[in-house]
Amino acid sequence: MSPNRREFLAIAGASVFAGYAGFAGAKPRHNGAQKISPVSIIKAKSYTDDLVSRILEGVKQCGLDVRGQRVLLKPNLVEFDPKTCINTDVSVVAAALEAFRSLGAAEVKIGEGPGHRRDTYSIAEMTRYRSEVPKFDALFTDLNRDDVSPIQGFADRGEIYLPNTALRADLIVSLAKMKTHHWAGATLSMKNFFGLVPGSIYGWPKNELHQVGIDLSIVELNRIFRRTFAIVDGIVGMEGNGPIQGTPKQVGVLVMGSDLPAVDATCCRIMGIDPLRVEYLQMAADRALGVTEEAHIEQRGETIRSVRTPFELIDNFKQLRLA
Amino acid sequence: MPRRLKFPPYPAEYRYVKDPTAALRLRQTQNADGGWGYFPGKQSWLEPTFYAAVALQGEPAADRAWTLLKSWQNADGGWRPSAEVQVPTWGTSLCVTLAQSRGEFGEPFQKGVAWLLGSAGIEGPLWRRLIFRTRLLGNPDRNLDLKGWPWKPDTASWVEPTAHAIVALKQASVKASSSRLHERVSIGEAQLLDVRCKDGGWNYGSHAALQVDLVAFPETTGLALIGLQGHPDLGKSLDLAARMARETTSPLARAWLTIALRLHEAQVPLSPVEIASSPETMLAALSIVAEEKTQFFRTGAVT
Repeated sequence: MSPNRREFLAIAGASVFAGYAGFAGAKPRHNGAQKISPVSIIKAKSYTDDLVSRILEGVKQCGLDVRGQRVLLKPNLVEFDPKTCINTDVSVVAAALEAFRSLGAAEVKIGEGPGHRRDTYSIAEMTRYRSEVPKFDALFTDLNRDDVSPIQGFADRGEIYLPNTALRADLIVSLAKMKTHHWAGATLSMKNFFGLVPGSIYGWPKNELHQVGIDLSIVELNRIFRRTFAIVDGIVGMEGNGPIQGTPKQVGVLVMGSDLPAVDATCCRIMGIDPLRVEYLQMAADRALGVTEEAHIEQRGETIRSVRTPFELIDNFKQLRLA
Repeated sequence: MPRRLKFPPYPAEYRYVKDPTAALRLRQTQNADGGWGYFPGKQSWLEPTFYAAVALQGEPAADRAWTLLKSWQNADGGWRPSAEVQVPTWGTSLCVTLAQSRGEFGEPFQKGVAWLLGSAGIEGPLWRRLIFRTRLLGNPDRNLDLKGWPWKPDTASWVEPTAHAIVALKQASVKASSSRLHERVSIGEAQLLDVRCKDGGWNYGSHAALQVDLVAFPETTGLALIGLQGHPDLGKSLDLAARMARETTSPLARAWLTIALRLHEAQVPLSPVEIASSPETMLAALSIVAEEKTQFFRTGAVT
């Protein structure tokens, strides 16, 4: 687990006190990937808008073809608190289901492995997934308790077990929520893949990922799952002490693309966060999993400037504020 | 392949889930290897197999389940969570508890107890523990010197695996008593009490994150109370558990809360909350356990 800013300062202070003066500062960054990735920003003022049309518009702008593919929609479903907005709104999930079906996908299913609460179906009930997504139970797989297969190579752990439903999908659509995160800075489409890790082995929460390091785990999961698309629910996001205890923030956008680091970098810029200072985004760029620099992202639909809505950041992440 | 079954809705007002078809469904959905999947027709896993074996204890189906579970014990005494997964996990506690209930105190039990005694949460990397110990950042959210049990080795302590380990070791103290066991249970209980939320219940691992209070979850509140049987000063926690049992929409939470309240000899409230049906094996098993087999988890205090 990487230290946050306060912890880093404490470590640095202790090191100086002990006579160690060798800290040379953060290593210089370079972006290994040079491709141009399209990212679509689509306005949607509320969850009662025609979200199917909005998603179809974004998918088209990104040039995604899902005909004949087995698509797994992966929402962000964690725990429920009626006072805030922790989870991907059910309207976005239902609209994505309809949109990908209309685009000719051979199969569209929904899967999630919530990280905090044990009772997945109860969370799906409280968040209205079970009542508002037609035939939800037949479409849904609890990824915490799915059948699994080992995948070799996950950071320094040798292997990781992952759910067969996710491993067998032709395309995983990360239906993430636009939120700040008190350990990672921001949680968007890449961090959403923590929900692909089965609780039946790694627990609730999936502490193994924290022990490996949150940033590295995000990157490793995105290295393993490469056939992906992102739709970030930024209609109402969460600012402040996210991803659970923050405050709802109206932004009014859906952000989409096949390059997840590019989508998340765009979301960060909308949120007033500098993506080049978000550790896991830079690790992803360094490993050529996608692009994060503005020059390498072709913004389609709305401009970032037209929808920019700075999010409140907790003290630990004030340094991420976009200049 | 087990036959697909229809799941009846739970009654609107219920004491727990008086589901008359639960036992039948369990018998009909047992896999050929003797285990149960979390859902009918899926791979066998330790946790649903454990609960189904408890629910059907005394029947041949439970014996077949135990035979399967024994085959998943590693040489080091830890239990793997399924045939496909090689790492031992928290499910070791469940198997130690099941062995005792069957009166089997041989090598699988003894090695399982030893594995649990050697297991502890690591509570973050060394640099984090050192920082907390120096109080450079103020008071930590929890006492990192108190070791509970992790979900799997080399990870931190969490409420649920700690509660299950305490139950297993408290019960084991009858046949495998040692000062080490008593000390370990005592530290585990202290760890659970240390992470109790201000509202009297338990979140999944701490009472606060970055010094912001967390609210209790009903599932972990029920489990922590099962682990803390025999401990005094739980009145506020039991009051909250009763309220949660009345209000929760989670059948899993209601089952564990019901078991906890009964073990603490507290009133289990009727609930007006309707709970949607679910295909989960564990819920079918827990509907029987919470109604008829709460004594399976009875421990009392370790003296």
